[in-house]
Amino acid sequence: MRETLRRLLRQRKAAVGGTLLLGFLLVALVGPWFVMDPTELMGQPHQPPSSAHWFGTTGQGQDVLAQTVVGARETLAIGFAVGALVTLVGALVGITAGYLGRRVDDALTLTTNIFLVIPGLPLAIVLGAYLPSGPFRMVVVLTFAGWAWNARVFRAEALALRGRDFVAAAVVAGESHARIITRELLPNMASLVASSFIGNTLYAVGAQVGLEFLGLGDVGAVTWGTNLYWAGNDAALLTRSWWIFVPTGICIALVGFSLTLLSSAIDELTNPSLRAPPKAPKAAVMRAVATPAQEAAAPGALLSVRDLCIEYMTQAGPSRVVDQVSLDIAPGEVFGLAGESGSGKSTLGYALLRLLPSSAAITQGSIVFDGTDVTALSPEALRAFRWSRVSMVFQSAMSALNPVLTLGEQFHDTLAAHGGASRASSYARGRELLAMVGLKPELVNAWPHQLSGGMRQRVGIALALALEPRLVVMDEPTTALDVVVQKELLQRVLELKERLGFAVLFITHDLPLLLALSDRVGILQAGKLVEVDTAQRLRTDARHPYTRLLLSSFPHLGATDTQAPTPDVLEQAASALKPPLAALPGGRR
Amino acid sequence: MRYVLRRLGFYLLAAWASLTMNFVIPRLAPGDPATAMFARFEGRISPEALVALKTAFGFTDAPWHVQYFTYLKHLLTGDFGLSYAYYPSPVTEVIGTGLLWTLGLAGCAVIISFAVGTMLGVLAAWNRGGWLDSALAPALAFLGAFPYFWLAMLALYLFGFGLGWFPLRHAYSHDVEPGATLTFIADVGRHAVLPAASIVVATLGGWMLSMRNTMVAVLGTDTLRLAHAKGLPPRQVMLRYAARNALLPNVTGFGMALGFVLSGSLLTEIVFSYPGTGYLLILAVRNQDYPLMQGLFLVITLAVLAANFAVDLLCLWLDPRTRAHA
Repeated sequence: MRETLRRLLRQRKAAVGGTLLLGFLLVALVGPWFVMDPTELMGQPHQPPSSAHWFGTTGQGQDVLAQTVVGARETLAIGFAVGALVTLVGALVGITAGYLGRRVDDALTLTTNIFLVIPGLPLAIVLGAYLPSGPFRMVVVLTFAGWAWNARVFRAEALALRGRDFVAAAVVAGESHARIITRELLPNMASLVASSFIGNTLYAVGAQVGLEFLGLGDVGAVTWGTNLYWAGNDAALLTRSWWIFVPTGICIALVGFSLTLLSSAIDELTNPSLRAPPKAPKAAVMRAVATPAQEAAAPGALLSVRDLCIEYMTQAGPSRVVDQVSLDIAPGEVFGLAGESGSGKSTLGYALLRLLPSSAAITQGSIVFDGTDVTALSPEALRAFRWSRVSMVFQSAMSALNPVLTLGEQFHDTLAAHGGASRASSYARGRELLAMVGLKPELVNAWPHQLSGGMRQRVGIALALALEPRLVVMDEPTTALDVVVQKELLQRVLELKERLGFAVLFITHDLPLLLALSDRVGILQAGKLVEVDTAQRLRTDARHPYTRLLLSSFPHLGATDTQAPTPDVLEQAASALKPPLAALPGGRR
Repeated sequence: MRYVLRRLGFYLLAAWASLTMNFVIPRLAPGDPATAMFARFEGRISPEALVALKTAFGFTDAPWHVQYFTYLKHLLTGDFGLSYAYYPSPVTEVIGTGLLWTLGLAGCAVIISFAVGTMLGVLAAWNRGGWLDSALAPALAFLGAFPYFWLAMLALYLFGFGLGWFPLRHAYSHDVEPGATLTFIADVGRHAVLPAASIVVATLGGWMLSMRNTMVAVLGTDTLRLAHAKGLPPRQVMLRYAARNALLPNVTGFGMALGFVLSGSLLTEIVFSYPGTGYLLILAVRNQDYPLMQGLFLVITLAVLAANFAVDLLCLWLDPRTRAHA
């Protein structure tokens, strides 16, 4: 909690917003003692700012400065009171609904949704018109008209927390509902409570000013809203007396802006992706180092990666995720890349297509694909290079497909981007590709959500083959699938590979699978390629201790175990492949 | 179809809830303001008309549930009673023209603001950290912190009273004959510029920020990574992949913010003496014209519910996933 507060203060938005708001609170608290009586007629009406009246006088001759300063007090008091009350009511309704669930939830959610769609101002007016005037009326009316949004937010949060283990544990332990809500749920909603309170105060100030402007406040009181009400009534515009309404409006905006800044600071704290990303590390050194390394590219290799370094910019400075990796892939070869999560294997795969996030950059080394230096491609050349030469199957192809386009459209935009195919020819090719991966061609008109996970992954593969690339990067393409589907899919990939002759960079943490599937396997540990060898040799005599550790961590696959535990089909498929060009120079070690 | 019917059912329920609130609030209020209201009609209208008015509101000596059904029956036949401020015009007649002006003004302003704000949000997210993102967005957020009606006052002061570029009040000049003539339409347009512009300026930042934030989230998804990997032209990735997918949650948010924006634009009408429902609302408040006030509440609420239903249909059209369950 203290750490959260400290981080909040370090943020510029929070600092500016907080200072502004504190300034206004101070003015509201002590300011009224230093100014004239805001209701007394102090001078001539409609007088512009002067030394006697710094902000001029109103249409009746009151001091505008005094009205602005004194108005802050009741406006902010009501604003914060309503803000707190709305948060309380919203939290109470929302948490009750989310926590108790079932019928209670249904009823409360329905009520909440109804209040959400009923416009607040007319509702507040009808209610306000029937209640006796005064600050109490304002608080009741604004709370009644504004609680629903909060209830909705708190319900969602309560629902999410209820599913978490620590709450489930408390339920099993037989703790009372009240205790679970106050001890388990509320402390975990601290930041939501804070940002809701700020958002509600913002709403309250705005709505209050609006209602008072309408004349629904206590027109005898001095608040910002009534100031504007009187400005309108006393013909401030007609007499060109801008000073009557401008100061109040700016005060309202500054309070509103400070609240917006604070709530946005809290949002960014809980959701860091909203902030501008840190700048990627500079790649200034790249060329100098890359040139000599390029000469070492193996003749006949389809892909030659040399001394590749990739760094991420983090809050703690640059962090090297891929460290001096060199590898070659021959045409038609299946190269397996293994490593645990965080070893940099996916980053390496993305780098081949220069698909790194903006916070990451290639700081050193070269990627040469079939004579093309990928790291040196211009944006337009890179666009043309992607997919037509190297394509990719994502682990999450099921979520990677665009949910709002039919499969046909997604085939079409891909084909059209690389040489202006007509829609009809794209759809025809789409059907052909779908059939190739074992799907019904009619699915070309389907939307992604109509397919199962395995089917979507097949679509991902079909899409990857659309332009007949020479290398397909497969990043954990089967991890999210069940074993049977996985087996069928990989078999299909190997068949297609045989037929079409593309090379595969297969990335996974599943070493036994890799050994069964690949011609050669590279082991990545903490960004370094520690061992590269043929699958056959790795299985029997891995040299690097890390490789041996990885191998032994799979129960059926000791370093001496020659029998791979993978499904028979795979075994057959793998052994059916001729080991091509296993003699290519491998990694550094 | 099931989805559409379910949404329709919900809005009917919400409409019923607001009808009922309209019935309950005057009866629960302390000090019996309803009786006071009818007392104000005393002497202005004939005793028979007063009885008819009371009946329309269900204020009879009958038990409350009988009152309630009488009230519902009158509403269903379009009888909202008589306006006090515009006596003897029926409330429906007074509201009818006002509603047209409001829908025209607020409708255009909101749609323009949403379209432009969304586009700006797309560009800000796409060029994150660029000048749109780091300069325009905060500037618009600051403008959005002003009350709509205050921006309207300022705009009127500067461009109406100061520079004299635009008319000061009303929806059209009194010397122009209303009709489907070019002169009249141009005149209405000239009158609408300032009020519409102040609503647009006040709301633009909100739409921009929400679109920017949803789009930033979409930009981090695998859908976008795949789009880039496929070598699609950047414009296509931005519009067809990122913006298109970010639009869905934003349109839903649009529906939810509609009531709020409408409330703000009602206050804007007052500044310009624009003859819409907002202007009627303040007349009703100042004259304690309860029939008109309640009629306005109902009509505005029903309009917002209808707009929300339209937004739901729009989402249905935008999102194949909801369409499948519909």
